[in-house]
Amino acid sequence: MPQTRLFRTSSFRLAAIYLALFTVSVLFLGAVVYAVVHTQIAAEIDQDIDDESAALLKEYSAHGRDRLQALIPTRGGSFAYGLVDANGKLIVGELAAPAGAAGWTYMQEPDSDESGAEGTVDVRALVTRLDDGGALVVADEWRGARGPIHALLSAFAWALAATLVLGTIGGVLLSSQALKRIEAMRSAAQAIVAGDWRRRIPETGADDELDHLARTFNLMFDRIESLLEAHKAVGATVAHDLRRPLTRMAQRLETQLGRETTRPETAAALEAAIADIHGVLATFNAILRIGQIESGARRAGFREVDLAVVARDIVDAFQPAAEEEGKSLTAELDEALPLSGDRELLTQMVANVVDNALRHTPSGTHIVVASARRADDGGRLTVSDDGPGAPEAERKRIFERFYRLDAARSTPGDGLGLSVVAAIAELHGMAYAAEDNAPGLRIVFDMRN
Amino acid sequence: MKVLIIEDDEDGAAFLASGIAERGHEADVARNGRDGLVMATGPQRYDVVIVDRMLPELDGLSLVKAMRAAGSATPALFLTSLSGIDARVEGLEAGGDDYLVKPFAFTELMARVTALARRPTLGAEPTVLVVGDLEMDLIRRTVKRSGQAIDLQPREFQLLEFLMRSEGRVVTRSMLLEKVWSFHFDPQTNIVETHISRLRAKVDRGQATPLIHTLRGAGYTLRAPN
Repeated sequence: MPQTRLFRTSSFRLAAIYLALFTVSVLFLGAVVYAVVHTQIAAEIDQDIDDESAALLKEYSAHGRDRLQALIPTRGGSFAYGLVDANGKLIVGELAAPAGAAGWTYMQEPDSDESGAEGTVDVRALVTRLDDGGALVVADEWRGARGPIHALLSAFAWALAATLVLGTIGGVLLSSQALKRIEAMRSAAQAIVAGDWRRRIPETGADDELDHLARTFNLMFDRIESLLEAHKAVGATVAHDLRRPLTRMAQRLETQLGRETTRPETAAALEAAIADIHGVLATFNAILRIGQIESGARRAGFREVDLAVVARDIVDAFQPAAEEEGKSLTAELDEALPLSGDRELLTQMVANVVDNALRHTPSGTHIVVASARRADDGGRLTVSDDGPGAPEAERKRIFERFYRLDAARSTPGDGLGLSVVAAIAELHGMAYAAEDNAPGLRIVFDMRN
Repeated sequence: MKVLIIEDDEDGAAFLASGIAERGHEADVARNGRDGLVMATGPQRYDVVIVDRMLPELDGLSLVKAMRAAGSATPALFLTSLSGIDARVEGLEAGGDDYLVKPFAFTELMARVTALARRPTLGAEPTVLVVGDLEMDLIRRTVKRSGQAIDLQPREFQLLEFLMRSEGRVVTRSMLLEKVWSFHFDPQTNIVETHISRLRAKVDRGQATPLIHTLRGAGYTLRAPN
């Protein structure tokens, strides 16, 4: 399956759209969770600072500033402090409250990291003004909040990455799966169009939409096939049922013809009528015969046959008749064309084509029956003439039942000869076509190799 | 010649019987397979049995098989409305000697029945066929007329051989197509006519008495002048 086709499939496009939507959802979810967690952690830090601040202020109101001054250096924990006097001078701790500041604020705490380099750390600070004009600063590092938020963000990043990877893989798998089934549908439909009416679209048994679609299509093909069968059966039934009365009619006329009392002009009329009836009956027999050939029952008796030998016999049989009509019929049959087939039917196939070429060409036409090997090593038999030929539109139709070229309407024939040819060629798995021989017509049979 | 017709179709059987009678032969009719078998293997000897493939009680194939099993060698001709080749092969395998697809011209049936009735009994196969002053050596594949060698193509030789073996009898177009060319269908092109005329040119041209005769609407016959 070509790469570009995969990416152009509708299922892949759908998968891509879903993937994009899902990524946006994950990002949005991440943002919300981040905001909530951030707020929550900030609230907890504030609470801790508030508690610590309250404990210190309680000491202050009970024992005064000196007590506080003595107490702050002894406090453990992660807090940072600052006690300033009314002049804004830092008495103890490392955080000097800006003059006049009160309440919650962010500050920079000087800090040294593990390597000893000097730096600052962002801290959250609560500044409380003391009644002696000084201020107490209690702060805590934001660093405490960084751990969980980092973990959270990286979790989301991983989840996002996983989503993208799994989504892409899933999309490719899903669309290639769907593509495979659509490919199966397409090839089945194409085979049916090509004439393999028995072919059906495979169902996977998944009972999904594609299966439903396949089933619907198969029902449609069943219907087409049964209509086609009915169409053929009508012809066969009519032919079959009319044969008996027509036979009887011909027999009665023949009986009458045999009587000595019949007048000569009556006899001529009777003979003509009998000939007409036999003509109709021959057509009916041809219809029934096509049906028999198409049923494929003859395949059981297939033997090794050389189509080139069959064709040579036909050329030998038809040559005198061709010469009598002022035409030439030659064989170029050195290439053997062995196949498994029915000699009698193949004989009729080649005979009908040669018959056709002789009947629809003027005197002086050259007809050549030739065997050859194609580039792909398959055998090919051609019957070509340099007669008037047939226009392209009509060439496609000459194998149809009862189809006759306009130009051929005046010549005898039932329009079934080449239909018999088509049926026999199909029975043998041969491709057949009418081509432009420029000038003339060329009938080509391509054997399977 | 005495012919037994085993055919369930009343009109068809009557048509055959009257046609055979008109040509100076005798015909009996059996209307179902069982009666037909009884008559065919009974004391009355028939020269040819005409058997329809589809018969009530006992079908044509089984009838001929039973006939052969009972030791009857009477030539049997199958009438069949099944134009398939399978039907013909089955008929011949069951012990039938010829077959004819309905509908047929009566002359066609008569020619075939006559050919069957005069079928040479098994014995020493002749190596030379002679009709009048025409001589065919089957071993050396040579033909002479009045001592003059005639050069024939293999197919012409086969055609002449068949005509000589059927000396004096009518040979129809389709009989020749079947026996000489193995064509079990009727081409639109006049294959037989042109081959016969070529053969005639070689055998009869310049001769005082022609041997090959055309019977209009029926076929051909090869016979020595009386």
